[in-house]
Amino acid sequence: MNGAGAGNRITPYDTVGGTARLMFYALLAISLMALDYRGQYLERFRTLAGHLVEPLFWAVDLPWSGIESTADIWRDRAESSRRIAELELDLLQARARLGLLADLESENAQLRTVLETARRIEQEFIAAELAGVDLDPFAHRIMVRRGRVDGIRQGMPVIDARGVLGQVDQVMIGMSQIILISDPDHALPVQILPGGERTIAYGSGSPDRLRLTDLPMNAGVNRGDLIVTSGIGGRFPAGLPVARVESVQRQAGQPFATARATPLAAMARNRLVLILQAVPPVDEPPATDDDSSGPVEDSVDPAASAQDDPA
Amino acid sequence: MNRSATLMPVLTVLAAVLLTIAPLPDPVAPWRPYWVALVLIYWHLETGNLHSLGSAFAIGIVLDLTTGTLLGQHALGLVIINFLVGRFRNRLRFFPPWQQALAVGALLVNDRIVQLWIIGLLERGWPDWSWWLPPVTGMLLWPWLFLLLDALRSRRRVAR
Repeated sequence: MNGAGAGNRITPYDTVGGTARLMFYALLAISLMALDYRGQYLERFRTLAGHLVEPLFWAVDLPWSGIESTADIWRDRAESSRRIAELELDLLQARARLGLLADLESENAQLRTVLETARRIEQEFIAAELAGVDLDPFAHRIMVRRGRVDGIRQGMPVIDARGVLGQVDQVMIGMSQIILISDPDHALPVQILPGGERTIAYGSGSPDRLRLTDLPMNAGVNRGDLIVTSGIGGRFPAGLPVARVESVQRQAGQPFATARATPLAAMARNRLVLILQAVPPVDEPPATDDDSSGPVEDSVDPAASAQDDPA
Repeated sequence: MNRSATLMPVLTVLAAVLLTIAPLPDPVAPWRPYWVALVLIYWHLETGNLHSLGSAFAIGIVLDLTTGTLLGQHALGLVIINFLVGRFRNRLRFFPPWQQALAVGALLVNDRIVQLWIIGLLERGWPDWSWWLPPVTGMLLWPWLFLLLDALRSRRRVAR
């Protein structure tokens, strides 16, 4: 047993003072949560504190990345050459497809000069490895081993081979946190392809589902339709694949139809993601005040995009 | 003397934070115990270090920053745990280990209810049954963690 000296220091909790202190800290925690939930207010604190806790991430990630690299060293020669052959085949196929696309691109450029519209900007991207850090499963965030020194900035779109994954939320020196599009706080301006309906895709809190609200009742949206980014808001370039429509609900008496969609990106199961470096310039004026808002595209309200819709 | 007496709790809490974000294979991940709470309960019960609600709050904020949750989410949970431990400390300390493990399990279940309430308010999707696994692991681990930390502490005392 411990000496009585330590025991005496303990504050009694079964008094009015103890309960008052509990109330004080509970209220403090709840108001912090409320402030954090509203965004922006704690931005500076989060950035600062992010730098303080970054060594913890490195400490956890270091053995993991060490294991990965030793596994690479010890990988069987036969397996390596098999993998190289596989990748070469992939590359060949991808190049062939790109060759076809180059033709389309030049055609597109010609059409655009004829139409006098802005030229598409070449996208620069940074490949980032997922860090060996497990965040809270309900936080819908992942960590990658790229940070400020690699040129990552807050708000950059993140994609994987199949579709949009999310955007950079918090940047530390050598790591950054990415908020996934499945986070309920995340709103992404999208377009549903064959029909061209514009709407907002909200995260649902479940990694394999997005919510589309505010669809016009007569919108020609069907199961299996492709959802791409619309480029409104200026944070995501237009035309990146996002999800496929899973089901559409048109409830009588409701002003809008809603739909559910399955994201195309592999969410947290990736090993490599791509961070798009250049945020494309937008031809719409609201882009300037959009940059000052938080990581979440909440400044783009559905009403604004509905007005934007020519239909 | 005071300094070395507080160094140990801080180091173990730090180790607990690292264990919380250490990657686990998917099938095992839902079983991850609430390491920080277990370590905090140990120090509060046995030595009275980290007994104040303020220290629980500070540890909670660090945990929120590292796990990417809302600021204050873990802080609220740990403050409540520390309050309850302080309230029942005199009884808990003299429980036999298995009974103590049950009490710790109850504390952890209570914390899960608090966290569920927060997640529910945020509309972050409803967790499935695996939500209730960490208190079970925590309860089963408690006696062993208790022995381990006791051993660390007595080693420290001899070395001093």
